[in-house]
Amino acid sequence: MNIWTVIALGALTYVSRAAALVLLPDPPAHMRRFLERIPAPLFASLAATALFTPEGSLASPALLAATAGALVAVRSRSLLVILVAGIVGYFGYTAGLLLIRR
Amino acid sequence: MRGAILQVLISAIPIAFAIGVFGTIFGAASTPLIGRELTLAASLIVFSGALQFAMVGLLLAGAPVTPLLVTAVLLNLRHLLLGAALRARISGSVLKRAGLAWFLIDESAALTLAAQERPAMTLVCSGLLFYIAWFVGTLIGTLGASLPQFGSVAEAIFPVLFVGLASISADRRELKVRALAAAVISAVLAMVWPSVRSYVPVLAVLLVIIPERG
Repeated sequence: MNIWTVIALGALTYVSRAAALVLLPDPPAHMRRFLERIPAPLFASLAATALFTPEGSLASPALLAATAGALVAVRSRSLLVILVAGIVGYFGYTAGLLLIRR
Repeated sequence: MRGAILQVLISAIPIAFAIGVFGTIFGAASTPLIGRELTLAASLIVFSGALQFAMVGLLLAGAPVTPLLVTAVLLNLRHLLLGAALRARISGSVLKRAGLAWFLIDESAALTLAAQERPAMTLVCSGLLFYIAWFVGTLIGTLGASLPQFGSVAEAIFPVLFVGLASISADRRELKVRALAAAVISAVLAMVWPSVRSYVPVLAVLLVIIPERG
């Protein structure tokens, strides 16, 4: 591992970021319809994947509680409200666990 | 304009905190393997948490350079999807789009796709904040901090963020159904086939965006 490997990794990463954004022409209407379908499934997929460990078991209960908190708030359709609800879920679970242990 | 920037920063700050914590964990894990200078160079030049953590894992396993480069190509596939989705919202010259591409990471792209207006400004502001958080976090990690007490709360921010962004992006029934299908496919794949976990989002998205409504 040397600086040239780091530069190669950086170059590969940048090319992947720029490829579609730079090389794709302004998409026509039928293409735009497909592209507009990407974000919601992609984020849902990233969220679902994050609920599991790299070994395939469920993530920590606190993380699941945070996600449950976020799901409760999805109807607000406000990112800030959902983030706060998730954090409340996380700390609510942690505090509850501490109370039970006492 | 100032109000719009402030709005982006308010949404981005909790995420930047989580990114900073992971930067610290990366810095602490990578420094014994490749030294402080290369660790900092990696965060400065690569700016990809997933790839840099994979790099640490492969180096720990004694992998040579080729698997690192192959992993980089595979892990970066989802950038093509994000870039394509952003292309529908970001116009301007090739040079402008090439500059904006530097700031394209999962989280900044997500905030940009969720933004109702000024997508380029959202990408630059959030991306720059995340870049600084990642580098400063790495720097703190190389200096010996490990922040284990913040690791789990930082980890919990990402699914919460993506749940929020999925709900904002799914603004009609058809997209809600596709998002739900992608979540189910991803959960099943992540559980039964964890070794392909990094490629699950790309696979799930390709499976759910193509079918047309009957």
